[in-house]
Amino acid sequence: MLNDLLVAFQAVATIENFLIMAAGIWGGVIIGAIPGMTGTMAVTLALPFTFYMQPIPSILLLVALYKGSTYGGSVSAILIKTPGTASAACTTLDGYPLAQQGKAGKALNMALYSSCTGDFISNLSLIFIAAPLALLALRIGPPEYFMLMIFALTTVAGVSGRSLLLGLVSACLGLLLATVGEDMYGSFRFDLTVDMQSGLAVAPVLIGLFAIPELLKIIVFRNNQSHKPMQLGDNRVTRDELRRSLKAMLKGSMIGVVMGAIPGIGPSAAAFSSYGEAQRSSKNRENFGKGELEGIAASESANNGCCGSTMIPLLALGVPGDVITGVMLGAFMIHGMTPGPMLFENNLHEVYMLFIGMLFSSVLLFGAGKATMRFFSHISRIPPGLMAPIVLALCVFGIFSISNSMYDVIVLLAMGIFGFFMFLFAIPAAPFLIAFILGPMLEENLRRALALSRGDPSILVSSPITWLFASLAIFVVVVTIRQQLKKAKV
Amino acid sequence: MGITRGLVITVLFGIVLFLLIPAYVPRPRFIPGFAPPPDMWPRTVSMLGMALGILLVGLSFSRKTEAIADPEDASTIRGDTPLVTLLTRFGWTVLAFALFIGSVMLLGFLLSSILLLMAMLILTGYWRHKVVAAIVAVALPLVLYLFFSSALNTRFPVGSLFKAIGI
Repeated sequence: MLNDLLVAFQAVATIENFLIMAAGIWGGVIIGAIPGMTGTMAVTLALPFTFYMQPIPSILLLVALYKGSTYGGSVSAILIKTPGTASAACTTLDGYPLAQQGKAGKALNMALYSSCTGDFISNLSLIFIAAPLALLALRIGPPEYFMLMIFALTTVAGVSGRSLLLGLVSACLGLLLATVGEDMYGSFRFDLTVDMQSGLAVAPVLIGLFAIPELLKIIVFRNNQSHKPMQLGDNRVTRDELRRSLKAMLKGSMIGVVMGAIPGIGPSAAAFSSYGEAQRSSKNRENFGKGELEGIAASESANNGCCGSTMIPLLALGVPGDVITGVMLGAFMIHGMTPGPMLFENNLHEVYMLFIGMLFSSVLLFGAGKATMRFFSHISRIPPGLMAPIVLALCVFGIFSISNSMYDVIVLLAMGIFGFFMFLFAIPAAPFLIAFILGPMLEENLRRALALSRGDPSILVSSPITWLFASLAIFVVVVTIRQQLKKAKV
Repeated sequence: MGITRGLVITVLFGIVLFLLIPAYVPRPRFIPGFAPPPDMWPRTVSMLGMALGILLVGLSFSRKTEAIADPEDASTIRGDTPLVTLLTRFGWTVLAFALFIGSVMLLGFLLSSILLLMAMLILTGYWRHKVVAAIVAVALPLVLYLFFSSALNTRFPVGSLFKAIGI
């Protein structure tokens, strides 16, 4: 393995790759720092551009965007009390009080150190866990895969949004839309127009669902005010402060790694769990919420700690745990690589290149964050009323360029309107997207399993692994319903 | 909100199950081996969706279970703005999208994009910064057009109007 990693190191360490990753990190931080723009949007907007790139640089670009935006979310959280991304919401609790005390620079620096630490540990976990897990996954067949995907979908549906039922409705809508076009045996379904025979491409559906509704929200609800950011002020994090926060940082990183690896959980939940744990175990617990650096260390290390580990189920099992890894799954497929156990058989060199590139991107995140902290503090001033139409232009040009087709642009805009209605009905978008991406695989595995068993559905609960995933899915459903009922009583 | 939402979901999946699947998912005469037919999966998903919709409606009637079916109050999203104003803004946006799609073949991709961007800047309320908004509306599509057509060799529609006048 070490030899393979060294060979991959040589392949990745080129100026071109470094520039791509640096651009990704910067782009991600910029997008993450703008309130209302999310990491998902950063990754989806970049997707059309990756069509023209080599496979590994394109995935590295998406990973760098993801990491950059996760850190970038903390910039606006600290400076204007508006988290750029949902996972940075926890950073606001202590970041903004520090900014009010004239210590915004200190808070941003602590967020950067913690993000890089969490990110690096997460990448190491990916390198050491993904391959053994993929080896295990090689032994499982269509019924087990089907149940694994059902479990992943149930978890995503349960934790996205406030209602499990609405999450499941969203997943059903995604599964249904994924059936448009040609099926695995060559039959056409829902081909209302000739264009629809080729199905709906991932990029316009995904970008339409996540980018366009934001524009519609701004237009319809006129939520358009810009914010005045705090000055950076006191910048340095002292050695003593760093030592005091180290425990929270390492613990947060581990929480991020574990929660990131479970499909559906994601960085927001990890950040809040880590914050809670840091507060519980800290000597300065009464200072949390008033401007405690340990609080920032805990939340930022945990949310960036998810970045690498969310790739574990994607690479090893071919199952995306959240929307961003869902987009990455699409990017892998565009380049002819199918994530899952066979990826380690067929594209081992590329996998190692990806590992090495991800380690490099942690270092680049630190460099880019340090060098341009002052610049990033101005980004949060860009008003959403200007930013949203710019994003629309990027989407329209990017989507058209993928296949030189107006059909994709129509799908993009239609999905945007559909996504807006989903927002109005409080139906979460994440389960829809994961279901749309997993849909064809889910159906293929189900139909294969039924073909193997000559139509007997009991094959879906015939092995201990299928039982395990089925029990986990039921467990998630029960726990989520109990939590929702409990919340309602409060 | 909970009941309306449940009904809309039920009707949506019902339309797919009873109208679209019979019309647009034909069963082939020969299916290899014991493979399930192509309509099996969409039917299963639609039935599940319909069941979830009915469940949402049912749960909305009971105070105890309302939280599972209807976790949010719609007025928190809407604020105090009258519904007519919201619908008008939404209608203008959809119209702008439709006009953009319709005008691409006539005016070409570049000019249509400039007009779309202008419309969006007006609708978001940013047009009051006229100079910045005008620069963005013209320069951004132009830069993107040049980037995609020269660097990535994308062939954007030129538009029949421009073709007719020989541009």
